[in-house]
Amino acid sequence: MRDLWPDVERLLARIERPVRYIDREWGAVHSSDTDYRVGLVYPDAYEVGMANQALQILAARLRLLDGVSVERAFVPWVDMTREMRIASVPLFTLESCAPLKECDLVGITLPYELTYTNILEVLDLAGIPLRAAARGDGDPLVVGGGPCAHNPEPVAPFFDAVLIGDGEEAALEIVEAHRRVRDAGGDRAAVLSALARIDGVYVPSLYEPDDRGVLVPSGGAPPVVTRRVLADLDTVGVPICPVVPYADVVHDRTTIEVLRGCARGCRFCQAGMVYRPVRERSADGIVRDAVESLRCTGYEEISLTSLSTSDHSQIDEVLRRLTRRLEGSGVAISVPSMRVDAFTLSLARLLGEGRRTGLTFAPEAGSQRLRDVINKNVTEDEVVATVSEAFSAGWRRVKLYFMLGLPTETDEDMVAIADLVGRVFRTAREATPPAERGGIRVAVSVSTFVPKAHTPFQWEGQLPQAEVRRRQAILRDAMPRRGVELSWHDASVSLLEAVLARGDRAVADVIEAAWRGGSVFDAWTEHFSLQRWLDAFDATGIDAAARATTALAPGDPLPWSHIGSGLTERFLAAERDRAYAGVTTPDCTLEDCTGCGVCPDLGVDNVLAGGGRRG
Amino acid sequence: MADGFRLRVCFRKVGRLRYLSHLETVRACERAARRAALPYAVSQGFTPRMRVAFGPALPVGYAGEREWYDLWLTQFVPASGVLNALKDATVADLAPLECAYVAPKEPSLAASLTIARYDVRVKGGIPPEELERSLAALMKTGTFAVEHKGKQKVFDLADALPKEPEVTVVQGATIVRMTVRMGERGSLRPDVFVAAATDAALDVTRTDLLIEDEGAWRRPL
Repeated sequence: MRDLWPDVERLLARIERPVRYIDREWGAVHSSDTDYRVGLVYPDAYEVGMANQALQILAARLRLLDGVSVERAFVPWVDMTREMRIASVPLFTLESCAPLKECDLVGITLPYELTYTNILEVLDLAGIPLRAAARGDGDPLVVGGGPCAHNPEPVAPFFDAVLIGDGEEAALEIVEAHRRVRDAGGDRAAVLSALARIDGVYVPSLYEPDDRGVLVPSGGAPPVVTRRVLADLDTVGVPICPVVPYADVVHDRTTIEVLRGCARGCRFCQAGMVYRPVRERSADGIVRDAVESLRCTGYEEISLTSLSTSDHSQIDEVLRRLTRRLEGSGVAISVPSMRVDAFTLSLARLLGEGRRTGLTFAPEAGSQRLRDVINKNVTEDEVVATVSEAFSAGWRRVKLYFMLGLPTETDEDMVAIADLVGRVFRTAREATPPAERGGIRVAVSVSTFVPKAHTPFQWEGQLPQAEVRRRQAILRDAMPRRGVELSWHDASVSLLEAVLARGDRAVADVIEAAWRGGSVFDAWTEHFSLQRWLDAFDATGIDAAARATTALAPGDPLPWSHIGSGLTERFLAAERDRAYAGVTTPDCTLEDCTGCGVCPDLGVDNVLAGGGRRG
Repeated sequence: MADGFRLRVCFRKVGRLRYLSHLETVRACERAARRAALPYAVSQGFTPRMRVAFGPALPVGYAGEREWYDLWLTQFVPASGVLNALKDATVADLAPLECAYVAPKEPSLAASLTIARYDVRVKGGIPPEELERSLAALMKTGTFAVEHKGKQKVFDLADALPKEPEVTVVQGATIVRMTVRMGERGSLRPDVFVAAATDAALDVTRTDLLIEDEGAWRRPL
């Protein structure tokens, strides 16, 4: 193992925020004398990657294996990569400051589409061939996983293997299989063939498209790779003592995952589909881990995370107990992803004890008709009642998320968003004492609908850009001005997201061309360049607008047909029909099974802390 | 808030942690105090914060051998117990070195620590004698001008550098020992001064911080 620290340190005087590269944080684990090294990479800057819980979970899990060390790596900021390239310093892991390329396995998270060019930046800086096909026995095994693994095709050529679903168990199986074959003298092909036999592991090189474009396996790989699911979160420990960064990172606090999965069934939402079933942790376990984690990390804030924390069956009890334990310590509790209809005054008061941050709700659509189409089971009266309660309890800021371009949307739905925002603002005013009304802020964030794999809307086309702009104009004109801060998610970025989210293997060429053209840190507004992507589409002969707007139909071959989420196509198509009929589907943690297929297919069930059903 | 118990802590910031900014150092020390489960006092108000006050900031890249903060506790805990608890809760490069209680009315560290001692390690081939001559020539001019964000600032060297810089060789490394008086309107950066005499790369360590009291210098404890 080469120690690159002297080479790295020489560069630090010339770059911003050297704290990103120095390691030595509280909780960082330095192992020596291991015979298998894993480098876990989050494909974004240190400040973003350090907020990622999956990385900390996987690191803690993999360290359970004898002789395995786990290190972190992130994408150096652009000033550092420039210096590294000039000085020929390769990408290094933080803990040992050794070349990432010297790891046995490099695990890269696939958090969202706009990090794809960063993956190539990581591989290139590390000196690892970009394409799996070009790697030899001296190169590390490059394995992906995470949310975007559910349609891995756009990045498939860059990975030796991709894990679909939960990594708590599967990551260990991958390392063990690799080490076993390696120690027995097996070559790269033997390793890949062993990996393909692990449930949930997709080895792209073992699949070739047939004449319909459907990927078919060879070499004993399964026709459909089925998602891995951890049946019960309480059976594996969570990282109590994660690395505590010095730098001011995104979400600079300790986090305890309180539940995984969401069964509300919003039809546009990939996370709500591919993380089923709902698995709640016990109140005892959450409180114990939260208190322990605060003691171990010294953080001044704890976040109870999940897709919808306020849905937890025992959230009131958890917050009551935690608030009591933390009294007088100045430690704040935060609950992201609060649901409009699960927000109660008691919950508000419990959080108010610590520190009050802004509230965020996502009605997604302005009219009840359209909310029924997308199965966002929340009414305008609920939104208004919640805002009234929250502002009466002392909140002064609320952020509302909406989507534009949803299936069946009309101009009236745009006006309905503005009307809802107006009603929210008036309600907030009425609930606030006159002297404090100047501080009221209603932030409205509007993004463009992006069809996602494994959702009932996976077949939908995205609105053409001109139509997006026309609807934005309607919304802008109708939106009340006073007290409202309106922001847009760039529609051209949404177009790119749509192409990448539903892309096939050909899209990998576009990603590589964009990266070669200089695209990196695309999720950072100041670094994103639409032109570089348009050039990349031109160079590869792929029509981005056509791909984004193309509507497909159930039965059509999809680039992710060989990835099994557990949801049946029959269920997704039925949900699509119900959407067009304006019929909602209930949450299976509250009412009957909706027949999505996950539980019987994957041999799991909803796990609710109170047993039985919620509510 | 009642006065409580004011504990003065001396710590180091060395090794790779020289690259922490002042804010990062503050946050790291606060988190160590929480991990040490000290009965720290919390400010009143909308966003309660730990009551802690640091000495003068150390720029990113400078090491510090004897840095300081005051921490207010709500209960008396023997200082030796606090020191051990803090040591166990802190990474080695940021380790606490000593601590003791001081009077609640004691002036703040930021205001009273006005004398700083530095070792500027010269990482290049300039002969020590030559460096000594260049620095002496700089001193003789009596003033030193620094450009900062387009503005020029002129230091009166007799005030800013109350002792002549001293060049020594320690285990083959050339080191300039400097003593800097920190004023309300900023202080002379030792590396900027030495850089006027050599192009070599410089490594700065603040070796001590002192209180100037009626012409005499003393440590804060």
